[in-house]
Amino acid sequence: MINDIIAIVRDYWLLLLIGQYPNGPLGGLANTLILSALSIALAFPVSIIFALARLSKWPLLRWPVTALVYVTRGVPLLMLILWCYFLIPLWTGADVPSFVIMLTTLVVYQGAFLSEVVRAGIVALGPGQMDAARALGHSYLGAMRYVILPQALYNMIPSIISTFVSTIKDTTLGYVINVPDLTFAASQVNNQLLTQPFQVFLILAIVYYVICWSLTHVANRVERRIARRRAGLSNIRAAAVAAPPKIISEQP
Amino acid sequence: MTASVSLPQELQTVRLSQVCKSYGDYQALKDIDAEVARGEVVVICGPSGSGKSTLIRTINRLEEINSGSITFDGQNIHAPMRMKELNLLRSRIGFVFQSFNLFPHLSVVDNISMSPIRVKGIPAAVAHEKALALLDRVGLSEKAEAYPAQLSGGQQQRVAIARALAMEPPVMLFDEPTSALDPEMVGEVLSVMKSLAAEGMTMLCVTHEMGFARDVADRVWFIDAGQILETAPPEEFFKNPRHPRAQRFLADLRH
Repeated sequence: MINDIIAIVRDYWLLLLIGQYPNGPLGGLANTLILSALSIALAFPVSIIFALARLSKWPLLRWPVTALVYVTRGVPLLMLILWCYFLIPLWTGADVPSFVIMLTTLVVYQGAFLSEVVRAGIVALGPGQMDAARALGHSYLGAMRYVILPQALYNMIPSIISTFVSTIKDTTLGYVINVPDLTFAASQVNNQLLTQPFQVFLILAIVYYVICWSLTHVANRVERRIARRRAGLSNIRAAAVAAPPKIISEQP
Repeated sequence: MTASVSLPQELQTVRLSQVCKSYGDYQALKDIDAEVARGEVVVICGPSGSGKSTLIRTINRLEEINSGSITFDGQNIHAPMRMKELNLLRSRIGFVFQSFNLFPHLSVVDNISMSPIRVKGIPAAVAHEKALALLDRVGLSEKAEAYPAQLSGGQQQRVAIARALAMEPPVMLFDEPTSALDPEMVGEVLSVMKSLAAEGMTMLCVTHEMGFARDVADRVWFIDAGQILETAPPEEFFKNPRHPRAQRFLADLRH
Protein backbone atom coordinates (compact mmCIF):
# COMPACT_ATOMS: atom_id res chain seq x y z
CA MET A 1 0.00 0.00 0.00
CA ILE A 2 2.72 2.49 1.03
CA ASN A 3 4.74 1.14 -1.87
CA ASP A 4 1.83 1.79 -4.23
CA ILE A 5 1.61 5.36 -3.05
CA ILE A 6 5.35 5.90 -3.43
CA ALA A 7 5.19 4.42 -6.90
CA ILE A 8 2.29 6.67 -7.92
CA VAL A 9 4.08 9.76 -6.63
CA ARG A 10 7.28 8.68 -8.41
CA ASP A 11 5.52 8.11 -11.73
CA TYR A 12 3.06 10.99 -11.74
CA TRP A 13 4.63 13.72 -9.58
CA LEU A 14 5.07 16.08 -12.50
CA LEU A 15 1.43 15.71 -13.61
CA LEU A 16 0.25 16.23 -10.01
CA LEU A 17 2.53 19.22 -9.64
CA ILE A 18 1.93 21.19 -12.84
CA GLY A 19 -0.63 19.23 -14.87
CA GLN A 20 -0.05 19.05 -18.65
CA TYR A 21 2.19 22.10 -18.65
CA PRO A 22 4.05 23.02 -20.87
CA ASN A 23 2.16 20.90 -23.41
CA GLY A 24 -1.18 21.97 -22.06
CA PRO A 25 -2.54 24.49 -19.56
CA LEU A 26 -0.87 24.83 -16.19
CA GLY A 27 -2.62 22.49 -13.77
CA GLY A 28 -2.05 20.28 -10.76
CA LEU A 29 -0.89 21.58 -7.42
CA ALA A 30 0.55 24.74 -8.98
CA ASN A 31 -2.83 25.72 -10.37
CA THR A 32 -4.60 24.86 -7.11
CA LEU A 33 -2.22 27.11 -5.22
CA ILE A 34 -2.62 29.94 -7.75
CA LEU A 35 -6.41 29.63 -7.71
CA SER A 36 -6.49 29.52 -3.91
CA ALA A 37 -4.12 32.44 -3.49
CA LEU A 38 -5.99 34.58 -6.01
CA SER A 39 -9.38 33.70 -4.51
CA ILE A 40 -8.23 34.59 -1.01
CA ALA A 41 -6.38 37.72 -2.12
CA LEU A 42 -9.48 38.98 -3.97
CA ALA A 43 -12.18 37.69 -1.59
CA PHE A 44 -10.60 39.43 1.39
CA PRO A 45 -10.88 43.04 0.15
CA VAL A 46 -14.25 42.20 -1.43
CA SER A 47 -15.47 40.97 1.95
CA ILE A 48 -14.44 44.23 3.64
CA ILE A 49 -16.27 46.24 0.98
CA PHE A 50 -19.35 44.01 1.36
CA ALA A 51 -19.24 44.33 5.15
CA LEU A 52 -18.98 48.13 4.99
CA ALA A 53 -21.82 48.22 2.49
CA ARG A 54 -23.99 46.09 4.76
CA LEU A 55 -23.30 48.43 7.67
CA SER A 56 -23.89 51.52 5.56
CA LYS A 57 -26.72 53.88 6.39
CA TRP A 58 -27.55 54.23 2.70
CA PRO A 59 -30.15 51.65 1.66
CA LEU A 60 -28.93 51.84 -1.94
CA LEU A 61 -25.63 50.37 -0.82
CA ARG A 62 -26.99 48.13 1.92
CA TRP A 63 -29.85 46.34 0.21
CA PRO A 64 -28.18 44.91 -2.89
CA VAL A 65 -25.25 43.55 -0.90
CA THR A 66 -27.55 42.14 1.78
CA ALA A 67 -29.56 40.40 -0.94
CA LEU A 68 -26.38 39.06 -2.51
CA VAL A 69 -25.14 37.70 0.82
CA TYR A 70 -28.47 36.02 1.55
CA VAL A 71 -28.68 34.41 -1.87
CA THR A 72 -25.08 33.28 -1.76
CA ARG A 73 -25.47 31.79 1.69
CA GLY A 74 -28.63 29.97 0.68
CA VAL A 75 -27.36 28.37 -2.52
CA PRO A 76 -24.83 25.51 -2.67
CA LEU A 77 -21.48 26.54 -4.12
CA LEU A 78 -21.68 23.81 -6.75
CA MET A 79 -24.94 25.33 -8.01
CA LEU A 80 -23.34 28.77 -8.29
CA ILE A 81 -20.39 27.34 -10.18
CA LEU A 82 -22.65 25.59 -12.68
CA TRP A 83 -24.79 28.71 -13.13
CA CYS A 84 -21.77 30.86 -13.84
CA TYR A 85 -20.31 28.21 -16.09
CA PHE A 86 -23.40 28.00 -18.28
CA LEU A 87 -24.81 31.51 -17.95
CA ILE A 88 -21.81 33.77 -18.32
CA PRO A 89 -20.88 32.54 -21.82
CA LEU A 90 -24.57 32.72 -22.73
CA TRP A 91 -24.87 36.35 -21.57
CA THR A 92 -21.55 37.63 -22.75
CA GLY A 93 -21.09 35.42 -25.77
CA ALA A 94 -17.42 35.29 -24.84
CA ASP A 95 -15.46 32.12 -24.28
CA VAL A 96 -14.54 32.61 -20.62
CA PRO A 97 -11.90 30.17 -19.39
CA SER A 98 -13.18 27.87 -16.66
CA PHE A 99 -10.36 29.06 -14.41
CA VAL A 100 -11.72 32.61 -14.53
CA ILE A 101 -15.28 31.42 -13.91
CA MET A 102 -14.14 29.39 -10.93
CA LEU A 103 -12.16 32.32 -9.58
CA THR A 104 -15.03 34.83 -9.84
CA THR A 105 -17.51 32.41 -8.30
CA LEU A 106 -15.17 31.68 -5.41
CA VAL A 107 -14.46 35.38 -4.83
CA VAL A 108 -18.16 36.26 -4.70
CA TYR A 109 -19.09 33.21 -2.62
CA GLN A 110 -16.27 33.43 -0.09
CA GLY A 111 -16.42 37.22 -0.14
CA ALA A 112 -20.05 37.00 0.97
CA PHE A 113 -19.24 34.53 3.75
CA LEU A 114 -16.20 36.46 4.87
CA SER A 115 -18.15 39.71 4.88
CA GLU A 116 -20.38 38.29 7.61
CA VAL A 117 -17.29 37.48 9.64
CA VAL A 118 -15.89 40.99 9.12
CA ARG A 119 -19.26 42.55 9.92
CA ALA A 120 -19.52 40.53 13.12
CA GLY A 121 -16.03 41.70 14.07
CA ILE A 122 -16.97 45.33 13.53
CA VAL A 123 -20.29 45.09 15.36
CA ALA A 124 -18.70 43.21 18.26
CA LEU A 125 -16.37 46.13 18.96
CA GLY A 126 -19.33 48.20 20.15
CA PRO A 127 -19.97 51.86 19.40
CA GLY A 128 -17.38 53.27 21.83
CA GLN A 129 -14.39 52.98 19.51
CA MET A 130 -16.22 54.65 16.62
CA ASP A 131 -17.47 57.40 18.95
CA ALA A 132 -13.94 58.02 20.19
CA ALA A 133 -12.54 58.20 16.67
CA ARG A 134 -15.33 60.48 15.43
CA ALA A 135 -14.96 62.73 18.48
CA LEU A 136 -11.30 63.21 17.54
CA GLY A 137 -12.35 64.34 14.08
CA HIS A 138 -11.70 61.20 12.04
CA SER A 139 -13.93 60.67 9.03
CA TYR A 140 -16.05 57.51 8.97
CA LEU A 141 -13.68 55.77 6.59
CA GLY A 142 -10.64 57.06 8.45
CA ALA A 143 -12.04 55.67 11.70
CA MET A 144 -12.70 52.35 9.95
CA ARG A 145 -9.20 52.21 8.54
CA TYR A 146 -7.17 53.24 11.56
CA VAL A 147 -9.35 52.23 14.51
CA ILE A 148 -12.13 49.77 13.73
CA LEU A 149 -10.80 47.41 11.07
CA PRO A 150 -7.37 46.77 12.65
CA GLN A 151 -9.16 45.55 15.76
CA ALA A 152 -12.09 43.82 14.10
CA LEU A 153 -9.92 41.91 11.65
CA TYR A 154 -7.46 40.94 14.35
CA ASN A 155 -10.22 39.65 16.62
CA MET A 156 -11.61 37.65 13.73
CA ILE A 157 -8.36 36.01 12.63
CA PRO A 158 -9.51 32.49 13.61
CA SER A 159 -12.76 32.79 11.66
CA ILE A 160 -11.05 34.49 8.73
CA ILE A 161 -8.46 31.72 8.51
CA SER A 162 -11.17 29.12 8.67
CA THR A 163 -12.85 30.79 5.70
CA PHE A 164 -9.53 30.88 3.84
CA VAL A 165 -9.08 27.18 4.52
CA SER A 166 -12.52 26.40 3.21
CA THR A 167 -11.75 28.51 0.13
CA ILE A 168 -8.76 26.30 -0.60
CA LYS A 169 -10.90 23.21 -0.20
CA ASP A 170 -13.64 24.66 -2.38
CA THR A 171 -11.22 25.01 -5.29
CA THR A 172 -11.62 21.23 -5.70
CA LEU A 173 -15.15 21.88 -7.01
CA GLY A 174 -13.55 23.40 -10.09
CA TYR A 175 -13.23 19.78 -11.14
CA VAL A 176 -16.85 19.78 -12.34
CA ILE A 177 -16.16 22.54 -14.86
CA ASN A 178 -12.79 21.12 -15.87
CA VAL A 179 -10.51 23.55 -14.09
CA PRO A 180 -7.17 21.72 -14.37
CA ASP A 181 -6.25 21.74 -10.69
CA LEU A 182 -4.78 19.15 -8.36
CA THR A 183 -8.06 17.24 -8.05
CA PHE A 184 -8.36 17.17 -11.82
CA ALA A 185 -4.80 15.85 -12.14
CA ALA A 186 -5.44 13.20 -9.49
CA SER A 187 -8.52 11.96 -11.28
CA GLN A 188 -6.52 11.82 -14.51
CA VAL A 189 -4.00 9.64 -12.71
CA ASN A 190 -6.81 7.53 -11.35
CA ASN A 191 -8.26 7.08 -14.83
CA GLN A 192 -4.94 5.85 -16.09
CA LEU A 193 -4.34 3.43 -13.20
CA LEU A 194 -7.99 2.34 -12.75
CA THR A 195 -7.12 -0.08 -9.93
CA GLN A 196 -5.82 2.17 -7.17
CA PRO A 197 -8.42 4.88 -6.42
CA PHE A 198 -7.87 4.67 -2.67
CA GLN A 199 -4.15 5.33 -2.96
CA VAL A 200 -4.55 8.13 -5.48
CA PHE A 201 -7.14 9.99 -3.49
CA LEU A 202 -5.26 9.45 -0.25
CA ILE A 203 -2.34 11.36 -1.80
CA LEU A 204 -4.81 14.08 -2.76
CA ALA A 205 -6.22 14.25 0.77
CA ILE A 206 -2.76 14.44 2.33
CA VAL A 207 -1.68 17.30 0.06
CA TYR A 208 -4.82 19.33 0.85
CA TYR A 209 -4.42 18.61 4.52
CA VAL A 210 -0.82 19.83 4.54
CA ILE A 211 -1.72 23.05 2.71
CA CYS A 212 -4.63 23.87 5.00
CA TRP A 213 -2.79 22.88 8.14
CA SER A 214 0.20 25.08 7.27
CA LEU A 215 -2.09 28.07 6.75
CA THR A 216 -3.72 27.57 10.15
CA HIS A 217 -0.31 27.11 11.72
CA VAL A 218 1.11 30.30 10.23
CA ALA A 219 -1.97 32.26 11.27
CA ASN A 220 -1.74 31.04 14.85
CA ARG A 221 1.88 32.10 15.03
CA VAL A 222 1.13 35.55 13.64
CA GLU A 223 -1.69 35.97 16.13
CA ARG A 224 0.46 34.92 19.07
CA ARG A 225 3.13 37.38 18.00
CA ILE A 226 0.66 40.29 17.89
CA ALA A 227 -0.77 39.29 21.27
CA ARG A 228 2.72 39.14 22.78
CA ARG A 229 3.57 42.57 21.43
CA ARG A 230 0.36 44.04 22.85
CA ALA A 231 0.87 42.40 26.21
CA GLY A 232 4.26 44.11 26.30
CA LEU A 233 5.85 41.25 28.28
CA SER A 234 7.18 43.76 30.82
CA ASN A 235 4.05 43.84 32.90
CA ILE A 236 3.18 40.41 34.21
CA ARG A 237 -0.21 41.32 35.62
CA ALA A 238 -1.29 43.01 32.43
CA ALA A 239 0.20 40.21 30.34
CA ALA A 240 -2.11 37.80 32.09
CA VAL A 241 -5.06 40.08 31.42
CA ALA A 242 -4.17 40.69 27.80
CA ALA A 243 -3.25 37.09 27.03
CA PRO A 244 -5.40 35.98 24.12
CA PRO A 245 -7.86 33.20 24.66
CA LYS A 246 -6.42 29.99 23.33
CA ILE A 247 -7.32 29.83 19.72
CA ILE A 248 -9.63 26.98 19.12
CA SER A 249 -8.63 26.18 15.61
CA GLU A 250 -11.76 26.03 13.57
CA GLN A 251 -10.13 23.94 10.98
CA PRO A 252 -12.99 22.05 9.42
CA MET B 1 -26.67 83.70 13.68
CA THR B 2 -27.32 83.92 17.42
CA ALA B 3 -30.44 85.36 18.97
CA SER B 4 -30.53 87.63 21.99
CA VAL B 5 -27.75 86.60 24.34
CA SER B 6 -26.86 87.52 27.86
CA LEU B 7 -23.13 87.12 27.24
CA PRO B 8 -21.25 89.24 24.71
CA GLN B 9 -20.77 87.13 21.63
CA GLU B 10 -16.98 87.19 21.73
CA LEU B 11 -17.07 85.64 25.20
CA GLN B 12 -19.32 82.67 24.54
CA THR B 13 -18.06 79.50 23.01
CA VAL B 14 -20.92 77.05 23.27
CA ARG B 15 -24.51 78.16 23.13
CA LEU B 16 -27.53 75.90 23.18
CA SER B 17 -30.90 77.28 22.27
CA GLN B 18 -34.23 75.51 22.29
CA VAL B 19 -32.52 72.14 22.00
CA CYS B 20 -34.96 69.25 21.86
CA LYS B 21 -34.17 65.61 21.41
CA SER B 22 -36.38 62.58 21.63
CA TYR B 23 -36.03 58.85 21.21
CA GLY B 24 -39.39 57.84 19.76
CA ASP B 25 -41.96 58.98 22.30
CA TYR B 26 -39.42 59.58 25.01
CA GLN B 27 -38.24 63.16 25.18
CA ALA B 28 -34.64 63.15 26.37
CA LEU B 29 -33.99 66.89 26.11
CA LYS B 30 -36.65 69.59 26.37
CA ASP B 31 -35.97 73.14 25.26
CA ILE B 32 -32.46 73.40 26.61
CA ASP B 33 -31.20 77.00 26.67
CA ALA B 34 -27.74 77.55 28.01
CA GLU B 35 -24.39 79.02 27.22
CA VAL B 36 -20.80 78.54 28.21
CA ALA B 37 -18.33 81.39 28.36
CA ARG B 38 -14.74 81.10 27.25
CA GLY B 39 -12.61 79.73 30.08
CA GLU B 40 -15.65 78.73 32.09
CA VAL B 41 -15.93 75.40 33.87
CA VAL B 42 -19.47 74.08 33.93
CA VAL B 43 -20.48 71.01 35.88
CA ILE B 44 -23.65 69.29 34.73
CA CYS B 45 -25.27 67.21 37.42
CA GLY B 46 -28.56 65.49 37.94
CA PRO B 47 -30.09 62.10 38.67
CA SER B 48 -29.34 59.21 36.39
CA GLY B 49 -31.42 59.12 33.26
CA SER B 50 -31.93 62.87 33.41
CA GLY B 51 -30.32 63.48 30.01
CA LYS B 52 -26.86 64.68 31.14
CA SER B 53 -24.91 62.37 28.85
CA THR B 54 -27.29 62.93 25.95
CA LEU B 55 -26.88 66.67 26.38
CA ILE B 56 -23.09 66.59 26.35
CA ARG B 57 -23.03 64.20 23.39
CA THR B 58 -25.16 66.55 21.31
CA ILE B 59 -22.52 69.27 21.69
CA ASN B 60 -20.10 67.49 19.36
CA ARG B 61 -22.95 65.88 17.45
CA LEU B 62 -22.32 62.34 18.59
CA GLU B 63 -26.10 62.55 19.06
CA GLU B 64 -28.37 64.37 16.65
CA ILE B 65 -30.99 66.76 17.94
CA ASN B 66 -34.56 67.12 16.71
CA SER B 67 -34.84 70.90 16.92
CA GLY B 68 -33.06 73.93 18.22
CA SER B 69 -29.46 74.83 17.64
CA ILE B 70 -26.08 74.44 19.25
CA THR B 71 -23.39 76.88 18.24
CA PHE B 72 -19.71 76.62 18.89
CA ASP B 73 -17.73 79.80 18.26
CA GLY B 74 -20.72 81.05 16.32
CA GLN B 75 -20.94 78.00 14.06
CA ASN B 76 -24.11 75.93 14.17
CA ILE B 77 -22.96 72.39 14.88
CA HIS B 78 -26.25 70.80 13.90
CA ALA B 79 -26.69 72.67 10.65
CA PRO B 80 -26.59 70.54 7.52
CA MET B 81 -22.94 70.48 6.50
CA ARG B 82 -20.41 68.41 4.66
CA MET B 83 -18.86 65.63 6.71
CA LYS B 84 -15.46 67.27 6.29
CA GLU B 85 -16.69 70.40 8.04
CA LEU B 86 -18.23 68.40 10.84
CA ASN B 87 -15.04 66.41 11.32
CA LEU B 88 -13.08 69.64 11.53
CA LEU B 89 -15.54 71.00 14.11
CA ARG B 90 -15.34 67.81 16.14
CA SER B 91 -11.56 67.85 16.11
CA ARG B 92 -11.82 71.21 17.90
CA ILE B 93 -14.02 69.86 20.69
CA GLY B 94 -12.25 67.47 23.03
CA PHE B 95 -14.34 64.62 24.40
CA VAL B 96 -13.55 62.31 27.30
CA PHE B 97 -15.71 59.21 27.72
CA GLN B 98 -16.84 57.41 30.82
CA SER B 99 -15.36 54.16 29.50
CA PHE B 100 -12.11 55.82 28.25
CA ASN B 101 -12.41 54.25 24.78
CA LEU B 102 -8.66 54.16 24.22
CA PHE B 103 -7.62 52.31 21.09
CA PRO B 104 -6.43 48.96 22.48
CA HIS B 105 -4.39 48.07 19.39
CA LEU B 106 -2.17 51.14 19.72
CA SER B 107 0.48 51.99 22.27
CA VAL B 108 -0.18 54.92 24.57
CA VAL B 109 1.95 57.32 22.55
CA ASP B 110 0.29 56.19 19.30
CA ASN B 111 -3.14 56.60 20.87
CA ILE B 112 -2.27 60.24 21.49
CA SER B 113 -0.40 61.03 18.28
CA MET B 114 -2.52 59.10 15.77
CA SER B 115 -5.26 61.69 15.31
CA PRO B 116 -2.95 64.71 15.02
CA ILE B 117 -1.08 62.75 12.32
CA ARG B 118 -4.11 61.34 10.47
CA VAL B 119 -6.62 64.16 10.92
CA LYS B 120 -4.45 67.26 11.07
CA GLY B 121 -1.57 66.01 8.94
CA ILE B 122 1.07 66.88 11.51
CA PRO B 123 4.44 65.17 10.84
CA ALA B 124 4.81 61.98 12.88
CA ALA B 125 7.96 63.10 14.67
CA VAL B 126 6.37 66.36 15.81
CA ALA B 127 3.18 64.61 16.91
CA HIS B 128 5.20 62.05 18.86
CA GLU B 129 7.13 64.71 20.69
CA LYS B 130 3.93 66.53 21.51
CA ALA B 131 2.35 63.27 22.74
CA LEU B 132 5.28 62.70 25.08
CA ALA B 133 4.93 66.23 26.43
CA LEU B 134 1.22 65.66 27.05
CA LEU B 135 1.95 62.36 28.77
CA ASP B 136 4.35 64.20 31.02
CA ARG B 137 1.61 66.67 31.81
CA VAL B 138 -0.77 63.91 32.94
CA GLY B 139 2.06 62.25 34.84
CA LEU B 140 2.49 59.15 32.68
CA SER B 141 5.74 59.69 30.77
CA GLU B 142 7.01 56.25 31.72
CA LYS B 143 3.96 54.59 30.08
CA ALA B 144 4.53 55.90 26.55
CA GLU B 145 5.21 52.50 25.03
CA ALA B 146 2.65 50.60 27.12
CA TYR B 147 -0.63 49.36 25.70
CA PRO B 148 -3.98 50.39 27.21
CA ALA B 149 -4.59 46.89 28.61
CA GLN B 150 -1.50 47.33 30.78
CA LEU B 151 -2.79 50.46 32.47
CA SER B 152 -5.12 50.96 35.42
CA GLY B 153 -8.45 52.68 34.84
CA GLY B 154 -7.17 55.96 36.22
CA GLN B 155 -4.12 55.84 33.99
CA GLN B 156 -6.27 55.01 30.95
CA GLN B 157 -8.50 57.99 31.62
CA ARG B 158 -5.48 60.28 31.94
CA VAL B 159 -4.22 59.00 28.61
CA ALA B 160 -7.69 59.63 27.16
CA ILE B 161 -7.51 63.22 28.38
CA ALA B 162 -4.05 63.61 26.84
CA ARG B 163 -5.39 62.13 23.59
CA ALA B 164 -8.19 64.69 23.48
CA LEU B 165 -5.76 67.52 24.32
CA ALA B 166 -3.46 66.48 21.48
CA MET B 167 -5.93 67.98 19.01
CA GLU B 168 -5.55 71.31 20.84
CA PRO B 169 -9.29 71.85 21.32
CA PRO B 170 -10.44 75.15 22.82
CA VAL B 171 -13.24 73.27 24.62
CA MET B 172 -13.22 69.98 26.50
CA LEU B 173 -16.30 67.87 27.24
CA PHE B 174 -16.19 65.22 29.98
CA ASP B 175 -18.90 62.58 30.14
CA GLU B 176 -18.74 61.11 33.64
CA PRO B 177 -14.95 60.73 33.44
CA THR B 178 -14.61 59.13 36.88
CA SER B 179 -17.74 56.98 37.09
CA ALA B 180 -16.06 53.83 35.78
CA LEU B 181 -13.07 54.14 38.11
CA ASP B 182 -12.20 52.45 41.37
CA PRO B 183 -12.50 55.04 44.17
CA GLU B 184 -8.75 55.28 44.75
CA MET B 185 -8.20 56.32 41.14
CA VAL B 186 -10.75 59.11 41.00
CA GLY B 187 -8.35 61.61 42.57
CA GLU B 188 -5.62 61.33 39.93
CA VAL B 189 -8.10 62.01 37.11
CA LEU B 190 -9.75 64.89 38.94
CA SER B 191 -6.39 66.50 39.64
CA VAL B 192 -5.56 66.45 35.92
CA MET B 193 -8.94 68.05 35.24
CA LYS B 194 -8.32 70.64 37.95
CA SER B 195 -4.99 71.62 36.47
CA LEU B 196 -6.66 71.94 33.07
CA ALA B 197 -9.27 74.24 34.57
CA ALA B 198 -6.56 76.26 36.25
CA GLU B 199 -4.92 76.79 32.87
CA GLY B 200 -8.12 78.38 31.63
CA MET B 201 -9.57 75.55 29.55
CA THR B 202 -13.27 75.84 28.79
CA MET B 203 -14.81 72.69 30.23
CA LEU B 204 -18.19 71.02 30.44
CA CYS B 205 -18.21 68.09 32.84
CA VAL B 206 -20.97 65.67 33.54
CA THR B 207 -19.95 64.30 36.90
CA HIS B 208 -21.18 63.08 40.24
CA GLU B 209 -18.08 64.41 41.97
CA MET B 210 -19.63 67.20 43.98
CA GLY B 211 -16.29 68.03 45.59
CA PHE B 212 -14.90 68.74 42.14
CA ALA B 213 -17.92 70.87 41.32
CA ARG B 214 -17.50 72.86 44.52
CA ASP B 215 -13.76 73.44 44.03
CA VAL B 216 -13.47 73.97 40.31
CA ALA B 217 -16.78 74.79 38.68
CA ASP B 218 -17.80 78.32 37.82
CA ARG B 219 -21.37 77.22 37.41
CA VAL B 220 -23.45 74.13 38.03
CA TRP B 221 -26.27 73.12 35.72
CA PHE B 222 -28.83 70.93 37.43
CA ILE B 223 -30.74 68.85 34.94
CA ASP B 224 -33.67 66.53 35.43
CA ALA B 225 -36.07 64.89 32.98
CA GLY B 226 -34.33 66.56 30.07
CA GLN B 227 -34.62 70.10 31.39
CA ILE B 228 -32.11 72.41 32.99
CA LEU B 229 -33.91 73.27 36.22
CA GLU B 230 -31.26 75.41 37.81
CA THR B 231 -27.96 77.05 36.93
CA ALA B 232 -25.99 78.64 39.71
CA PRO B 233 -22.47 79.11 40.99
CA PRO B 234 -21.53 76.04 43.06
CA GLU B 235 -21.48 77.73 46.47
CA GLU B 236 -25.01 79.00 45.87
CA PHE B 237 -26.21 75.72 44.38
CA PHE B 238 -24.93 73.60 47.23
CA LYS B 239 -26.03 75.97 49.99
CA ASN B 240 -29.37 77.17 48.71
CA PRO B 241 -30.68 75.14 45.85
CA ARG B 242 -33.80 76.90 44.65
CA HIS B 243 -35.57 74.15 42.74
CA PRO B 244 -37.28 71.52 44.95
CA ARG B 245 -35.96 68.75 42.68
CA ALA B 246 -32.40 70.00 43.18
CA GLN B 247 -32.98 70.17 46.94
CA ARG B 248 -34.11 66.56 46.94
CA PHE B 249 -31.16 65.53 44.73
CA LEU B 250 -28.64 67.15 47.08
CA ALA B 251 -30.35 65.68 50.12
CA ASP B 252 -30.10 62.24 48.54
CA LEU B 253 -26.41 62.77 47.85
CA ARG B 254 -25.73 63.54 51.49
CA HIS B 255 -27.12 60.20 52.66
